Amino acid sequence: MTTAGVAAGEVGHAHHDDRPFIRKYVFSTDHKIIGIQFLFLSLFFLLVGGVLAMLIRWQLGFPGRAMPLPGLWPRAMAPDGVVLPEFYTALVTMHGTFMVFFAIMPLLVGVFANYLIPLKIGAPDMAFPKLNMWSFWLMIPAGGLMLAGFFVEGGTAASGWTAYAPLSANPEYTGATYGQQLWCFSIIVFALSSLLGSVNYITTIINLRAPGMTWFRLPLSIWALFITAILALLAVPILAGAIIMLLFDIILHTHFFMPAGGGQPLMWQHLFWFFGHPEVYILILPAMGITSDLLANGSRKPIFGYHSMVYAIIGIAFLGWVVWGHHMFQSGMNPRLGTTFMVSTMFIAVPSAIKVFNWLGTMWKGSITFTTPMLNAIAFVAMFTIGGLSGIFMAATPVDMYIHDTYFIVAHIHYVLFGGSLFAIFGGIYFWFPSMFGKMMNEKLGKIHFALTFITYNLVFFPMHILGIGGHMRRIYDPSQYAFLKPLQPLNTFISVSAFALFVSQLPFMWNFFHSLFWGKKAEMNPWHDNGLEWTVQSPPPHGNFAVTPTVYHGPYEYSRPDMEADFLPQNQPLPASAHAAAH
Amino acid sequence: MSHAATHPAAPAEEGLGVYTQKLGMWVFLCSEIMFFTALIGSYIILRWGSSESWPVPQQTLNIPVTAFNTFVLICSSVSMVKAYAAAVHDDQAGLKRWLILTVLLGASFVGVQAYEYTHLIEKGFTPSSGLFGSTFYTMTGFHGFHVSCGVISMAWCTMRAFQGKYAGGKFHGIETIGLYWHFVDLVWIILFTIVYLF
Amino acid sequence: MATVEHKHPNYIAIWLYLAALTGVELVVALLHFLPRHWLIGALVFLAIWKAGLVALYFMHLKFEPKRLVIMILAPLPLAVIMVLFILQEFHR
Repeated sequence: MTTAGVAAGEVGHAHHDDRPFIRKYVFSTDHKIIGIQFLFLSLFFLLVGGVLAMLIRWQLGFPGRAMPLPGLWPRAMAPDGVVLPEFYTALVTMHGTFMVFFAIMPLLVGVFANYLIPLKIGAPDMAFPKLNMWSFWLMIPAGGLMLAGFFVEGGTAASGWTAYAPLSANPEYTGATYGQQLWCFSIIVFALSSLLGSVNYITTIINLRAPGMTWFRLPLSIWALFITAILALLAVPILAGAIIMLLFDIILHTHFFMPAGGGQPLMWQHLFWFFGHPEVYILILPAMGITSDLLANGSRKPIFGYHSMVYAIIGIAFLGWVVWGHHMFQSGMNPRLGTTFMVSTMFIAVPSAIKVFNWLGTMWKGSITFTTPMLNAIAFVAMFTIGGLSGIFMAATPVDMYIHDTYFIVAHIHYVLFGGSLFAIFGGIYFWFPSMFGKMMNEKLGKIHFALTFITYNLVFFPMHILGIGGHMRRIYDPSQYAFLKPLQPLNTFISVSAFALFVSQLPFMWNFFHSLFWGKKAEMNPWHDNGLEWTVQSPPPHGNFAVTPTVYHGPYEYSRPDMEADFLPQNQPLPASAHAAAH
Repeated sequence: MSHAATHPAAPAEEGLGVYTQKLGMWVFLCSEIMFFTALIGSYIILRWGSSESWPVPQQTLNIPVTAFNTFVLICSSVSMVKAYAAAVHDDQAGLKRWLILTVLLGASFVGVQAYEYTHLIEKGFTPSSGLFGSTFYTMTGFHGFHVSCGVISMAWCTMRAFQGKYAGGKFHGIETIGLYWHFVDLVWIILFTIVYLF
Repeated sequence: MATVEHKHPNYIAIWLYLAALTGVELVVALLHFLPRHWLIGALVFLAIWKAGLVALYFMHLKFEPKRLVIMILAPLPLAVIMVLFILQEFHR
């Protein structure tokens, strides 16, 4: 496919797909199938990350106590069911790694970018469908390499998901004989997958928009995914380069990060966080985009301040490149650099705040229906605000001196990544499940899942702010070794019990998801009365998406127009005759 | 119903004004800029950030041979762009000739690099030979890897040219792979200067 | 989409230009007649000039839409920021 798009009103590309099963559902080049493949794979890794978290919380809540089924745990990890300190550091490393690279990123980008972009812009598929297929299938060896760490001598990498050198650069320091190398290879393969995806998303959005789908008529989910893809395109290669240098330090005995050979450990931190900061915006921007679409739909109102929302996304992405040092305030880096980073970090709060106010403005005086997707989207706004506010504390270097590497940071991370990204992901899954599978998820179970998750999640992570201010450090195996932390142990136990409850609260979701796949209520056409182009075709859409290439007449948030009876107007339907002067 | 796929229609909504395959390659090249920034940037940081003196490259590396290799790579860029021009004007014989020359020149570059590496390693200059060794092998190694991938892709393109896949003025594939090839040459222009000549 | 309406530049002329610039680089680098800082400055300048020739003429950026050129130039400030900031770290 070398030409851009098809002209308006032309016969589209939708057609019956009668290829064999393996080309249709396994090695598929159809973006919708690939998005669904990502969905299954990343939900699996979300479960893996969650299980690892439960093991961490067991040790913190009940230090030194044997886990259930003591005899079944491998001796190298938890002899007689008691988590070893070395295994604990491996656990925190793998929890972070799986959640960031194999759960949240693929869920936000692999699933929603793949599934939504061609549909919502009116294209038949991505610009490079075969590359897209590779993007998914590369995740299999990437995930396999990462899981393999659990089965090799010395266990997995144990230097944190941030893999700081020189701890990560010499296997003798952590005892992970092969684990760190496997980690490195896994992330390199992941980076290739991410790269292929980014190239596809960017090219598709630039070149394959349907007639009338101008830039400022794009839904905010697409804007967010577009800017995210640009961030990933430019940031992930830095990570790949840094990891290659780390790998060479380990296996070729180069000296990039090893002081003995003249290397600079601090350079690892700079390179990693130069990637790492845009990375966290990759982890939140698509969630913000999804939230915008869900809130407008659930409030039956246009997004408040669409243009400023777009500029805020661009502003966040722009500023996100020059704040990375705020992860390193305590590293001993040049203090003058530190000041620069403090100022830029405070600035970046502004576009995020603009978005929060605009979401509130969207809901204000809307006709809100509290469906499951809407509940999750509203929770996103509230929880992200809390996470963002704790971020302001950290931006101030003097404050960060105290709270760096404490549970205050852990609270912040989880408020933005779980309270933010994951709630948006849940909302997105409930919302687009009917499009993907032609069935509705059970609404009652959805609300139960939401309520239980929301409550237990806050019980787990809010107290962590308190722990952090109390001086409880991160990644620590046994806090009770410090007298000043002993009084906080009951809080740790409380968090752990809440965490187990949080894990169990995901069961209604798992049940709902799989049950609805087969026995869910058949979805009517456009069940959410949404304006997106994906709802103008049957669910699931046919291969090639549109029988007739749609023409787009207006923006995506025409809800509750006073000059219309219906409270929504899909993008491929013209504005009412009276409104032509106002059309933009 | 998919006959529309062969319809060379005008773009639906104007993007950046280039056809999709070329745009995709440029987007990819932007990521490659960042990848080489990580490697070359680290070299710059380690070299000019270190208080110790850096070995004089001329004393370890073979400048004349590498200068010749640089010339070879530049020639391969010329032959590549001549191949592109031939494809545009539907000069199939020219296209095949220039593509074969590009493959040969590219393969020679890799061959000379490989020869340089064996020679250096025999002399005792390895990736673990201090920061100089670490940065030298990583940067030139990954560049060489990119050239090798380019040579393989170019060979595949040449095969397709012989199958007539670019006949009738269908130059998009040639132009697209050409961009990758020129990029690899461009990176080498920078590498040669800052690694070998300083 | 006709991006080839322009006349082809003289590729052989560009080739000779590149060869000549490489020659100048070698002379500057190997004959040691410039003080160190000037040497580095001159070589960097020459390298950028050569890279520019390849980008503008072989990669046809001179004839492409300006928006494409802006997109491609976008990563460069990021690269510069990264290297400059981190250099601050070690060059106190």
